[in-house]
Amino acid sequence: MKITFAIFTLLSVLLTGCRKDFLEVIPVTERTVGNFYKTPEDFNNAVVGTYATLKHPGLYGNGTGSLIWLGETVTDNTDYGSTRQPVNISSFEIEDFNFSLSNSYFSSAWVGHYAGIARANAILDRINSIEFDATLKSQYEAEAHFLRSMFYFNLVRLFGNVPLVRIEINNPNGASNLSRNPLAEVYALIESDLKIAEAKLPDVISAANAGRASKWTAKALLGKVYLTLKQFDKSALKLKEIIDVNRFSLMPNYADVFAASTSFANNKEVLIAVQYKSGQIGQGSSLYSSWLPFNVNVPEFGITGGLGGGINRPTADLVSAYENGDLRKAASVATSYKTAQGSTVNERYAIKFRQTGVIPNDSDVDFPIFRYADVILMYAEALHENGNLTEALRYLNMVRRRAFGFSITAALPQQSDLSGLNAAAFRLAMEKERRLEFAFESHRWFDLVRTGRLLEVMTAKGYPIKPHHVLYPVPQRELELNPGLGQNAGY
Amino acid sequence: MSCYPVFRTFVLFSFLVVVSANVIAQKTLSGKVTGEARQALAGVTITEKGTANAAVSKDDGSFSIRLTSSSPILVLTNVGFAPREVAVGNQNEISITLTEESQQLNDVVVVGYGTRTKKELTGAISSVSGKDIQQVPVSGLDQALQGKVSGLQISSTSGAPGGNTNILIRGIGSISGGNEPLFVIDGFPVANAGVGNPLNTINPNDIESIDVLKDASATAIYGSRGSNGVIIITTRRGKAGKARLELDAYSGVQQVAKKIEMMNAAEYAQFVVDGRNNGYLDNVPNGRITDPGSLRPASYRIPAELQDPTALGEGTDWQDAIFRNAPISNYQLSASGGSENFKYALSGGYFHQQGIILNTNLKRYSFRANLDGKVSERLSVGASLAPSYITQKNLPVAEHYGSFGIIQSALSMAPNIPVYRADGSYGSLIPTPEGYTNIQNPVKIANEYKNPLAQFRMLANAYAEYSIIPSLKFRTTVGADVNYYKTQIWIPSTLSASAPVGLASASASQTENINWLTENTLTYKRSVKQHTFDLLGGFTAQKAINDGISAGAANFPDNLVENINGGTVNSGSQNIQEYTILSWLSRVNYSFNDKYLFTGTLRRDGSSRFGANNRWGTFPSASVGWRISEEPFMKSIPFVSDLKIRASYGLTGNNNIGNYRAIGQLSDANYVIGDALTPGLVRSSFSNDQLGWESMKQMDFGIDLSLLNYRVSFTADYYEKRNTDMLFVISVPGATGLTSAVVNLGKVQNRGVELAVTTRNLVGDFKWNTNFNITFNRNKVLAMSTEGEKIFGSTGGRGNTHVTQVGYPVGVFYGRRQLGIFQTAKEVTDYANAAGTILQPFAKAGDVKWKDVDGNGVINDNDREVLGSPHPDYFFGFSNTFSYRNISLDITANGMVGHQIYDATFMINNSGVQNNTKYVYDNRFISPERPGDGRYGRSIRGGRNSNTIYSSQYLFDGSYLRIRTVTLNYTLSNSLSQKILMQGLRLYATATNPFTFTKFNGYDPEVSNSGDNILASRVDFGSYPNARSFIMGVNLSF
Repeated sequence: MKITFAIFTLLSVLLTGCRKDFLEVIPVTERTVGNFYKTPEDFNNAVVGTYATLKHPGLYGNGTGSLIWLGETVTDNTDYGSTRQPVNISSFEIEDFNFSLSNSYFSSAWVGHYAGIARANAILDRINSIEFDATLKSQYEAEAHFLRSMFYFNLVRLFGNVPLVRIEINNPNGASNLSRNPLAEVYALIESDLKIAEAKLPDVISAANAGRASKWTAKALLGKVYLTLKQFDKSALKLKEIIDVNRFSLMPNYADVFAASTSFANNKEVLIAVQYKSGQIGQGSSLYSSWLPFNVNVPEFGITGGLGGGINRPTADLVSAYENGDLRKAASVATSYKTAQGSTVNERYAIKFRQTGVIPNDSDVDFPIFRYADVILMYAEALHENGNLTEALRYLNMVRRRAFGFSITAALPQQSDLSGLNAAAFRLAMEKERRLEFAFESHRWFDLVRTGRLLEVMTAKGYPIKPHHVLYPVPQRELELNPGLGQNAGY
Repeated sequence: MSCYPVFRTFVLFSFLVVVSANVIAQKTLSGKVTGEARQALAGVTITEKGTANAAVSKDDGSFSIRLTSSSPILVLTNVGFAPREVAVGNQNEISITLTEESQQLNDVVVVGYGTRTKKELTGAISSVSGKDIQQVPVSGLDQALQGKVSGLQISSTSGAPGGNTNILIRGIGSISGGNEPLFVIDGFPVANAGVGNPLNTINPNDIESIDVLKDASATAIYGSRGSNGVIIITTRRGKAGKARLELDAYSGVQQVAKKIEMMNAAEYAQFVVDGRNNGYLDNVPNGRITDPGSLRPASYRIPAELQDPTALGEGTDWQDAIFRNAPISNYQLSASGGSENFKYALSGGYFHQQGIILNTNLKRYSFRANLDGKVSERLSVGASLAPSYITQKNLPVAEHYGSFGIIQSALSMAPNIPVYRADGSYGSLIPTPEGYTNIQNPVKIANEYKNPLAQFRMLANAYAEYSIIPSLKFRTTVGADVNYYKTQIWIPSTLSASAPVGLASASASQTENINWLTENTLTYKRSVKQHTFDLLGGFTAQKAINDGISAGAANFPDNLVENINGGTVNSGSQNIQEYTILSWLSRVNYSFNDKYLFTGTLRRDGSSRFGANNRWGTFPSASVGWRISEEPFMKSIPFVSDLKIRASYGLTGNNNIGNYRAIGQLSDANYVIGDALTPGLVRSSFSNDQLGWESMKQMDFGIDLSLLNYRVSFTADYYEKRNTDMLFVISVPGATGLTSAVVNLGKVQNRGVELAVTTRNLVGDFKWNTNFNITFNRNKVLAMSTEGEKIFGSTGGRGNTHVTQVGYPVGVFYGRRQLGIFQTAKEVTDYANAAGTILQPFAKAGDVKWKDVDGNGVINDNDREVLGSPHPDYFFGFSNTFSYRNISLDITANGMVGHQIYDATFMINNSGVQNNTKYVYDNRFISPERPGDGRYGRSIRGGRNSNTIYSSQYLFDGSYLRIRTVTLNYTLSNSLSQKILMQGLRLYATATNPFTFTKFNGYDPEVSNSGDNILASRVDFGSYPNARSFIMGVNLSF
């Protein structure tokens, strides 16, 4: 019997006791922070993950993110075409200028941009301690700087002073006592990030890298930063570099800029866009289907299944702003549709990102963040503010010529050309041109705030806007977690 | 009631028969055996101790036995009665009274890693005999346990076959770590894994007893898994003696216990017309009620088919279309028996329950073999093998109708639509610009949506026990719980959100869950004079691996192949989760003079789940008991049969913190680069090396009192529990790059009183026994990460309806407080704050008036407050057994009192799209002259006042008293059954849920969409109601 006992004991020990690592269980189907950031591939994955922040619901999401609401729906460009219900009160709050501090469009924008910043910081903190190919390393580092600056530029425009986080925070309490840095400090970081980015980012982006930033993307962003800071000299110089490199141009046909059929190589206008892809791989956009008339799907829309979401519905004011002959109107908005039974329903909706033959929320069309038309119009604006009205008009008219289907390069004045404007009229013309050129591209609110015109324009059209609406409120959740942040004036 | 005493006596008896030696005198003794009420007891086995002499009492209780020893001692045994030894002395005639066993202190109670008798217990443990739960025709034993045990709160949150139950022992101790108790089946702590409810895999008929361990003294031996309480399930094992073959079969029918009275088609149409007109006037400044549809925005047009309400008549009752009379049946064949050296219990069962909603069911095939053998005087071995196979047809019953929820669809669907059109196709609503919505025909969903589940589970374990010396035993157990389950979902293209054409989709998942365990214990029992010791020491190791693979497909060209193979597989994943636990355990039981009792336990648990710097936890407990009735001074109080007071204190833990939570992880953040899907990775959680178990300290004071020769037994406990270091997902500032982190913090308290009373009111030929238990628990959150932190709870996508915050119970209802309905425009303008600001500027007569909680002149999210509690003030169970000769009647009832239910079913249905109840139609506001009941406002679609915002309007008293079962038994008398060559025959009929007394106006006050989500409990959002059933059964033994 002693033998039996010995066997039992032995068995027990064999099964359990002698394995020291019995309690060390590492995930086998999940990746852990501990074994990441070791190889060039890891860093590439981390950089791609940072780009993916653009699809965070607090940025562009799949076409319904915070920047759509806070950049477009809040303005006179669009509204929300759904039926008012308790579940969508927070969406109507935006167009009503009746913001709740807890509205998730604000918290999501705050959280999303900082998530991107943390992702960039994690790369920058570690990349120098790992040895690998210098070219790749410099590209990844520059991309992290570029993305971080873009996220901060959005944050500072949406919320004003924001806390500056330059390194990855690994302690959950690590941001609980941060205070908001002055605008100048935030812009200083943005500028220094972009200077590194423009120096180190690739000159040319191959088709295989479509979606990544080039040094020209960084320069465009830097041009916009300077324009926002009213440093018009610097802005003009930076933007002129992009024009002079002669690599970008306006697509002859406006609608082609947004067409799914336009390949990356053929699209000379886009400097960077949020990349979408159909095929039910989690990368499609709802830029078209969610923006169709609320709760409707008819054959004319050409989407398989699903119902329209009524998001980003053009206002009558926007539709009537297009001049006769402006080809952008037909490429941007529709004002009626036919039911399956053939009767016509009058309802406005955006078709700029139209793509038929796909299923809802799964279209390919990319969403441009920077395109050449913006570079040209910003350049024109900077020139004008510097007193060079003639050159400014020439560039403004380039965009108009394309819009009306005229030759961009012709020396002679074209029918669409504007002339003889004084400074005030130029500014209004520029305001209108940007509104129509970039309708639905989430520029409107930022443009009107930049030029100081938001209150005036919106008040004139009867919106209940207040002076403090040139900034959004610091989200309730952030204030609760860090009362030291303080709220923006007026909220 | 336990069979162990019988078994033990049998062993003793057999042993004595073998060693009987001296034969000196001979005489014949006659006598009579009676029960406590002097009724004759037949079939009592009477043996002379130490001899082979035996007799059986006749129907009048009389017997006659030949005695051969010098000072003979009689041993009397009878099923259901306590064995008794009686010295004969010089008597020639003897009268002996037997006491019913259930009242006895020698009942064996299963505790962790051992057993104790009831009288030795110092902890709070309640026992339920297997036969008490087998009368309830349900799939899982947890449903049958409802109302049987004090301190054990069970809610059948879904009436689906195999549906979920929410089980709480002594309240909610964890906010996010799970509150389900640990289940231990034949010594094996099983993981909660599988499809549906894991307890469905156990056949209730195989259960010998269930012991519910409640206080820390009882549960601390389970260390880091003990704080939610422990439920120990012991299955039947073979007994030496005559082989027994038993057949149990029942069959019956179930039905929905209550229907909700809905608007008919004419009323519905009128409701829609009113809703759209009101919405139009509200939203369009110059609109007039006479404006035709062509002038109105789509949402406010009146659909052509509803423009003449009175022409529509009754229409369709969609509830009749989805509910059915559903059969339920159960068959079990079992065999048991064996010799002293080898005992067996085998059983096979088949259970089939169809759901009361079309196309839902559960089938279970189960088998069990429990074998015990004696290799030598010192070594015994045994094994249990219990495979079971379950198949289930599930449907999305309790969902929003947008996710194909069948009940919601049936209640919301327009009654002017027929179930089938004249051409045989399904009647349906097609979303149109008029703003219909995508409510599907619920019959079509039930017929076309497919969600089959299947699960194979085998619990297997083997033990060997070796007596090193008679008082020192070593026992080793090796076991495994092997669990495979799979689910499939098929949604054909015909079930699209936008009929008629949609996209078919399918998904499938398969999971392998293997949980293995080895336990090694040493026990030492010794009595020295008045000192009795019972020592336990042990070492255990457990490892669980859950490996799941799932895939989804789309792009189906047709609906011919109803699984992922019919389309293009476009998603797939594998998820492997492992955890390990190593433990040392020990226990000391000491008693002095059988009067003063002490139990101390200590367990050390290490687990892979805990952070690297906090890997081991120590869990001690101590308890004392004093059997006052054994003191000499108590002997003078004859009506006190037994009196014991107990006290315990201990520390236990909850390790349900999830796997890998301490390890910082990455998650996918894929993107498109170069027009191709490109993997991206980002940090998704913080690392926390300190992350550990949730701790719970519990104090318990108890008293056990039996009076009048055990006619009245009474147990009461007061407990106080404090859970600390809870698993807490705290919100962190967005500037960290993440929004949450997992830490241990917070404090929750539960205090309560449990009472259980068992009385034997009548003990004669007509017997009447009563069991009653009641529990009062008070739950309170004492600390969270910050004083003002609120964790919101939400169920079924209903938004934030509950809150967990300091000073209140976990998960109380939280929202706007409805003050009434504005009756006139003046009431709206009068509702202003001190500064004259109108609080609800968009409101009109007929709209809901809310309280301005913060008093700032604006009604918004800051005007929410605690509205009520989903937790009962008390809950109780009550059962009565009446028997007369061969007939007995059992009635069990249970109830909960003082809680509220959020009835979300109709919350969205005031907008002129969906149907609503007749009550709302009759009691809504129409005009100041027809103000309704003051709770329901006017019918309005898209109203500017947003009347359907969650508020106290949707909370209802959820108190109920439910007659759970009424069972009538007829048992054939021994002599008769033996004539037809049987050991026994019992016929029974049971009605389940025949009556429910409640003011709640939904189907069932018990069900909830929340399942086990304690942060948002008691939400009725189209939940699957529990069935009322009637069954007939027979139990035959040969």
